[in-house]
Amino acid sequence: MSISRIKGILLQELYITKRSLEVIMDLFFFSFVFVIVFGFVSIFLTANVSETAAKFLLLGILLWEIIRITQYSMSVGALWNVWSHNLSNMFVAPISLKEYMLSHIISGAIKALVIFCGLSILAANLFELNILDVGLGNLALHFVNLTIFSWSIGIAILGIIFRFGTRIQALAWGLVYIFQPLTAAFFPVEILPPFLQTIAYTLPPTYVFEAARQNLTNPEINWNFFIVAFIINIFYLVVAIWFFNLMFKQSKDAGQFARLEG
Amino acid sequence: MKDSILEVKNLAKNYGSFRALDGISFDIPKGKVIGLLGPNGAGKTTTIHILLGITLANGGQIKYFGRDFERHKQDSLQKINFASAYNTLQGRISVWENLLVFAYLYSVKNPEEKIRKLVDYFEVREFLDKRFWDLSSGQKTRVNLIKSLINDPEIILMDEPTASLDPDIADKTLSLIEDFKKNRGLSILFTSHKMDEVTRICDEVIFLDRGKVVAQDTPLGLTKRIGAVQLKLSFDGDKKLLENYLIEESGDFSFPQNFVVVINTEEKLVPKIVFGASKTGVNITDIEVKKPTLEDVFLQIARGSHVN
Repeated sequence: MSISRIKGILLQELYITKRSLEVIMDLFFFSFVFVIVFGFVSIFLTANVSETAAKFLLLGILLWEIIRITQYSMSVGALWNVWSHNLSNMFVAPISLKEYMLSHIISGAIKALVIFCGLSILAANLFELNILDVGLGNLALHFVNLTIFSWSIGIAILGIIFRFGTRIQALAWGLVYIFQPLTAAFFPVEILPPFLQTIAYTLPPTYVFEAARQNLTNPEINWNFFIVAFIINIFYLVVAIWFFNLMFKQSKDAGQFARLEG
Repeated sequence: MKDSILEVKNLAKNYGSFRALDGISFDIPKGKVIGLLGPNGAGKTTTIHILLGITLANGGQIKYFGRDFERHKQDSLQKINFASAYNTLQGRISVWENLLVFAYLYSVKNPEEKIRKLVDYFEVREFLDKRFWDLSSGQKTRVNLIKSLINDPEIILMDEPTASLDPDIADKTLSLIEDFKKNRGLSILFTSHKMDEVTRICDEVIFLDRGKVVAQDTPLGLTKRIGAVQLKLSFDGDKKLLENYLIEESGDFSFPQNFVVVINTEEKLVPKIVFGASKTGVNITDIEVKKPTLEDVFLQIARGSHVN
């Protein structure tokens, strides 16, 4: 592991983030718009339906943004270099895959943390949801599980992009949404039909969202949920890394990786 | 081989049933520029991609600095670099930022000082703060070359570095390449479709065709293999007299204009033919001998003719 090479990737991430309107829109603008829209919906729900439902909704969107931002950063980070015809230049430098992945993991986590803090301040001031009510320890554990899950999705999508090229690039920002209903981000799991509940409990964020909703009234850490989510996360992460390595090898074997840039 | 920077042995690559590389072998000695030429689909780019580790070979061995590339990939890549007209740097960020990123990727000591030195050498200081995609083609090429030198490589693989440049900028780029070959003792593997460039900067040329090395020699050595020259005589006088002489002396000639004859012959026969033609009674007013160029060799190979 070379600190210098990791610093190189992180610097590039910082420069691209600062200079790309697309990144600013996708990460910062949309996150704040989502919270504002869902915030107003929550005000409506509080007044007309139920305060609990309103809080679940707003809490869900705040935590969901951790998944979206981390996964986006991981998958789209490579696409910036594909679109610029710079990916070969990066990979003919002596950077290892581990260093490349770790850099994007760090970059995604920093972005998610910064934006999550900003969104939480917005939610507290405009929509009366104090995320600290969940408990700082709980928040830290939820953040860990949500980011690890996002790395797995991001790494797997990156592998698919490396193997099949930019024709499936829409997966980089679109595929993650399939997990929004499946992980019961905005509502209790029991709302889902039984067969979907079974699927939901194979996904770590489901445990996080369930635990976070409990934490609104009971800030005690739900270690069972945390540990189960963490173990499933490790399993998915190992599978994602294995899958990525397989896709990367196939891509290099087919000559696709060198041709990614057209 | 002791002084080889790169040794390639029996390199093979299949894409499905298509044999892209069929056991090619060559060496690149220290300080030499080797041209890799061939028609489209000959396997040049595949070779470069395999030598950079971004495409996997199906067989053969690559050694950089006497060590197996697969086993010592990171160490080897630290001393290699790459420049291509088809790969650019990150377009959204500035030239300075791009170069700083690559300086860190190659773990360069004192990266800012190193970049400043190269920037002065290539005279790009005035557009350091510009975004890469706002540069002209010539400026981009120069920045690409800076990137390719940022780690003080011992060998650079160049894939058509002057493609898409106008002749003036291409000439300046070649001068820079000649400079750093001379001053730094760099080894270079160079692909191009521009035969004049290859003749100008390459010490040796490897011709690939359908995944095989079909010829390998110096540019001069390769053109000598063709053997034939084209002798063009302008004359005053009776065309019939000259025609009769040439029928006897050399069957391969034509009259593209009334008082111009073009004769295909061996180089060593030129003085004899010119002397004989002048003895026929016609007045020779101009003599032009066109020797074969690397382009003629390329065309022979591309059209499937044999080169000795």
